[in-house]
Amino acid sequence: MNGVPVLELKGLTKLFGGLAAVNDVSFKVREGGISGLIGPNGAGKTTVFNLITGVYKVTEGQILYQGKPIHNQEPYKIACGGVTRTFQNIRLFKELSVFDNVYTACHLSANYNLFESVFRLPRYWKEDKLLKEQARSLLQIMGLEERQELTADNLPYGLQRRLEITRALALKPKLLLLDEPAAGMNPDETEQLMRLIVEVRKMFDLSVLVIEHHMDLIMGICEHIHVLSFGCTLADGSAEEVANDPKVVEAYLGAEEEK
Amino acid sequence: MEYIQGIAILIGINLIAVLGLCILTGFTGLFSFGHGGFMAIGAYISAIMTARLNLPFSVAILAGGLSAGLISVFIGQLTLKLKGDYFCIATMGFGEAVRVILNNVEYCGGARGWADLPKLTSWWVVLLLDIVCLVLTWNLINSRQGRNLIAVREEELAAQMAGVNVFRFKMIALIVSAVLAGVSGALMANYLQFLRPTMFNMAKSTDLTIMVIFGGLGSISGTVLGTILLVSLPEVFRNFAQWRLVIYGLAVIVIMVGRPKGIMGGMELTPAGIRKVLAARRAKAKLEAEVKAAEQGDAA
Amino acid sequence: MDQFLQQLVNGLSIGSVYALMAVGYSLVYSIMNFSNFAHGSVIMLGAYFGFFSLTLLGVPFSVAFFVAALGAAVIAVLLERLAYKPLRDRRAPFLYFIITAMGASIFIDNSVIATIGPTPKTFPSDLLPGFFQGDPFEFGALTIGRVDIAMFVVAAICLALLVFFIDFTKLGKAIQATAYNIKAAALMGINPNFIIILVFAIGGGLAGAAGILYGMKYQVFPQMSAITLKSFIAAVFGGLGSLSGALLGSLLLALIETFISGYLSTQYRDLFAFGILIAMLVVRPSGIMGKNIEDKA
Repeated sequence: MNGVPVLELKGLTKLFGGLAAVNDVSFKVREGGISGLIGPNGAGKTTVFNLITGVYKVTEGQILYQGKPIHNQEPYKIACGGVTRTFQNIRLFKELSVFDNVYTACHLSANYNLFESVFRLPRYWKEDKLLKEQARSLLQIMGLEERQELTADNLPYGLQRRLEITRALALKPKLLLLDEPAAGMNPDETEQLMRLIVEVRKMFDLSVLVIEHHMDLIMGICEHIHVLSFGCTLADGSAEEVANDPKVVEAYLGAEEEK
Repeated sequence: MEYIQGIAILIGINLIAVLGLCILTGFTGLFSFGHGGFMAIGAYISAIMTARLNLPFSVAILAGGLSAGLISVFIGQLTLKLKGDYFCIATMGFGEAVRVILNNVEYCGGARGWADLPKLTSWWVVLLLDIVCLVLTWNLINSRQGRNLIAVREEELAAQMAGVNVFRFKMIALIVSAVLAGVSGALMANYLQFLRPTMFNMAKSTDLTIMVIFGGLGSISGTVLGTILLVSLPEVFRNFAQWRLVIYGLAVIVIMVGRPKGIMGGMELTPAGIRKVLAARRAKAKLEAEVKAAEQGDAA
Repeated sequence: MDQFLQQLVNGLSIGSVYALMAVGYSLVYSIMNFSNFAHGSVIMLGAYFGFFSLTLLGVPFSVAFFVAALGAAVIAVLLERLAYKPLRDRRAPFLYFIITAMGASIFIDNSVIATIGPTPKTFPSDLLPGFFQGDPFEFGALTIGRVDIAMFVVAAICLALLVFFIDFTKLGKAIQATAYNIKAAALMGINPNFIIILVFAIGGGLAGAAGILYGMKYQVFPQMSAITLKSFIAAVFGGLGSLSGALLGSLLLALIETFISGYLSTQYRDLFAFGILIAMLVVRPSGIMGKNIEDKA
């Protein structure tokens, strides 16, 4: 493990018209680490995710993944490179089964081309089998095997979020971006999710960047936290440092009740 | 008998174009107002090759399909990276443009039409091509490329984030559907033995799309049923011809608002397809039972 | 030079009708973020409403005009309530809206064909106000048809009223707010449902006005709904979502069309609309007045 951070943002700025949604934000995510991105609503956290995953173009600044710039690349290329995410408003393939959601996302693990698919040449048969196996094993690891025939839309809310994470894992990412994965969960479910994230990090040997409002999750699993407010960096450091930072306390004063 | 065979051949010819739209609209979620234009290209190319250049029919069919496919690349490049509305408007314009151009090309008969084309489309050619196209479509949809098309339809942004090159797959769907439309047009030209630009206007494009919708978006077997139904119905209701389209239009609205999955409900009429639907229903029932039990357990 | 001025005048008059259609379409697009592909059928119905109120009901022309606009507005609102709203409520994908619009236009167009019949109808000149009875105006070598003048003037008045309404009234500002951000507007106390109905009604009204004017210049027939393609192209040309873009795009499109048919040939006139569309898509897809729209997440 060399010293190159898996993700580094340098002076990241995004302007929408005259409004700076993200303003000169810089931080690093250590390889193998779990970092948290927190801040009041509208602070620009999801915008940062959108910039990292290529949905938005950067106005100024750089995004380095494993030391190489990825900003302004096509979103699908960034995903293929190993950066995947989940969404604040769940974006599952709702009409497909749980299995098919993951099976579809496994597509990068096979190489057979269009011709081989359409004419069912040997390479299709060999490799598609592997895709099915990968999907099945992922679902088993993530505890969704039992529900795999269910239509994704019919999954209970907590499991839908878990399915989104499973789908993101299908691409064998090195950096997993989770956008409010605990939204709408009760304390028990949040506990489960926390353990799941730590397990996933270990099992799949990846790094995690989490956006969350649930402070117990953030404080519980993040070794490093970056705080945003109105698009600007408010604080950056370990969980303890950030919790005791007077600026952070002020920003959250009177707002956050433990959910 | 002759009569029924005629209808069967028409079903078979249209089916190829409709399969193309099944892939484009049913599985990839793109809407085209101008596939009549691609059929026209295939039809007229075939007519030129068979009637004027005396080339074999197989060459004509191939040329028709490929020409349509080539032109679709041009349209796709310009519009598939933009919002969906642009693609719709461009295909609408394309269909009209093809018609206007053909109206003015005297070499192809112009607006009056072109008659006495050689009859080269036999029932077994249609049957053979139908089988081939059905199998190839099936193979496409049930492969990682097909699943990517579906992902594009379901949640384009999530598909991007899952590493799917959305633009590329939309192009694939467009090109395949255009080629199929071109092949269908070629078969039609040398079956009806007569061509006129108005045969391929927007009404034809929407007719084809309606066949996909009735059968159900996202179901190949549904598309086949839809085509059989809608090609044979006009013959049955010949007396009420004017009202046929009125009813179709209303039916489309009702379907989209009520049951977008059409006749087949998104299901495939195969053992695997039926099993899948039953499994999903079972899983749902099981989940509901568990939730209920948990609630009663809480209450107790 | 005279040729040039003549074409200019012709272009402006037909352009003003295109503008009514394109602005109506763009208004709905800017709020709903979707293209009402049944717009053409609304235009067509407006023309028929106007025609029949003039010929069957025998009302004066000004009343017929209002009937056309009002009737079309009602149809547009019905379309929205019965076909689009249910889809919106179910968060249906974009594709379903287009298909439904297609279904609606097929339904409407063919209902007219089945009931009234496909033969085109011409506005009988004796039922039109005296203004239209006379010969075309002559200004030197320029000939300006009376219908052309009416088209331009009426369209200009309608658009001026629209601009006044949007920019200077409270309701108009509410529409602008909703176009910008529907959720934020709702939080400000603006009822989105009401705005949507209003916008469809205005769009429909403009369409009806365009319909009767177009029908007066040419003829009234069920397939005239296809003219809406011109308004879509004009809107793209000017910049989808921008009302001033729709206006500008319509005038420019009509002028280019008229000059082409004047100096080259009428056969290919419709083809040039498509050519302009292609050119726009190649060079500047966001249109003349277009703003760059980035994707949402």
